[in-house]
Amino acid sequence: MVDALAGAAAREARYEAALRRRATGEALSHQRRVTRTVVSWQVAMLLLLLFAWWGASGRLLDRLFLSDPISVMAAFWRILADGSLWYHLRYTLVETLLGYVLGASTGLVGAVLTWLAPGGEPVLRPLVLLAYATPKIALAPLMILWFGIGVLPKVVLAATFVFFIVFLNTMAGLAAVNPGLVNVVRVMGASPIGIFRKVMVPSALPFIVAGLRITVPAALIGAIVAEFISSNRGVGYLINAASARYRTADVFAGIVGLLFVVLLMNAGVSVLERSWLRWAPQIRNPLG
Amino acid sequence: MTHVAPDGQTIAPAEAAGAATPVLEARGVYKVFVTRGRGGLRAMTALRRVDLQVRRGEFLTLIGPSGCGKSTVLNMFAGLTAPTDGTVLHEGVPIRGVNTRGGYVTQDDNLLPWRTTLGNVQIALELKGVRRDERHERAMAYLAAVGLRGFEHHYPHELSGGMRKRVSIVRTLVDTSVNVILMDEPFGPLDAQTRLVLQDELLRLWEGSGRTIVFVTHDLVEAIALSDRIAIFTGAPGTIKDVREVPIPRPRDVFHIHDAHGFAEIYDAIWAGLRAELTTEPMHDG
Repeated sequence: MVDALAGAAAREARYEAALRRRATGEALSHQRRVTRTVVSWQVAMLLLLLFAWWGASGRLLDRLFLSDPISVMAAFWRILADGSLWYHLRYTLVETLLGYVLGASTGLVGAVLTWLAPGGEPVLRPLVLLAYATPKIALAPLMILWFGIGVLPKVVLAATFVFFIVFLNTMAGLAAVNPGLVNVVRVMGASPIGIFRKVMVPSALPFIVAGLRITVPAALIGAIVAEFISSNRGVGYLINAASARYRTADVFAGIVGLLFVVLLMNAGVSVLERSWLRWAPQIRNPLG
Repeated sequence: MTHVAPDGQTIAPAEAAGAATPVLEARGVYKVFVTRGRGGLRAMTALRRVDLQVRRGEFLTLIGPSGCGKSTVLNMFAGLTAPTDGTVLHEGVPIRGVNTRGGYVTQDDNLLPWRTTLGNVQIALELKGVRRDERHERAMAYLAAVGLRGFEHHYPHELSGGMRKRVSIVRTLVDTSVNVILMDEPFGPLDAQTRLVLQDELLRLWEGSGRTIVFVTHDLVEAIALSDRIAIFTGAPGTIKDVREVPIPRPRDVFHIHDAHGFAEIYDAIWAGLRAELTTEPMHDG
């Protein structure tokens, strides 16, 4: 009797284990199917776009303005092979990186100081919002006037593209902290610094990370725009010079170069984001 | 007399003020809230002359219609709200600023979402500078006591409502320097069965610990099942209408509290007083 019961229990356990394996397998293959569908659609749309481009070029629109995918590939390969892409990209990357670091650090520190200062937030936030709403591109000529045509004006313009978003996002993150969490930790005897470190910062982190993430391409935009206005180096210069000589394929080749840079930067930020925000349930990033 | 917690720690004995001094006391407390309405600022009296003494080691429940200010009294004991008039005392000393000698359990579990179960339970000890290995050991002992072994590395969003509530209670109890626990409708958001199980667990953790609990609820059965005394509030503006002893002996069986000797009498007596407040009270929120 006892043996029979034990046998039945063992059979039941085996049966259930098989069920679990099957359900896991099904979930996995479902997930793979979804990924496959999404990727195939993406590839199909990309191919369609390239094909339309190729088809329109010379037939619907002048090749002079549109170029075509094959010439662009050839031009990209050429600037890659003769080192001119890397030569210009180096400057653009340095400007972007320095501008990003400058803008992000001043934005973060500024927001924290504003938050800590009594009355800082109501006084400063409207002013910062106003400055944020000013088109930064309008500042580019001023930057050249003030800082010349070297690396510095590009860094400063890139930094202004970054600063406001990081500042405002950090402020929003600090404002969104659940007061219940703060109260519980206060009653536990946390000092103001303890509350800041253990509640405010981790709680605002998703906002801060979002700010740091969306400003990566913004820094690049700032650097490129400054290069457009006045420079003799950088990918912005490369594109501008090619366009002035109606070398449309070279313009696109420069853009393709920038595309790879942005993809690489995004991947880097995603890695950081995942390690920082492991605790958050299903964070869905619009750029991821 | 010393008391021992599940992790073998001794709970801080009552301070030298002497057993006669109430642990917590409200003396002639008024609270006026000023809100911004359409016609400018509006002042509303939330509490009217509240006098309450919390005895050492007792389980006291504040019960009353919603909006009667019972949570406000609790927040005053926690030092998060100051009375507009009157005094709130802890061990005979007026409470000024946050009362860090009390533990505070809220209706929302208020766990830190970026910390695991273990990290959440340890936070009070961390803030008090307890050594890492000791922190870990004490937290694990409490987690084991509420059946959360195996969930110590889960984040709050990976736990059920009942589990999160257990973590939020245990993280307050684990700090043995705290001998007064303030609980604001902690079981409010839970389903009926989980509520009973958690009431039972709370009683087991509390009985014999020597700690004082002030508990806010609007559930009369819960109040009777848990408390030594029940303070009944009137509707807004809240004031204490009556304080009743619950004559049911301990240890109690919360699952069959209805069958306990004396339950029906105390239930009827308190309910009669409560019902009068419910019917005369205009609708208020919270």
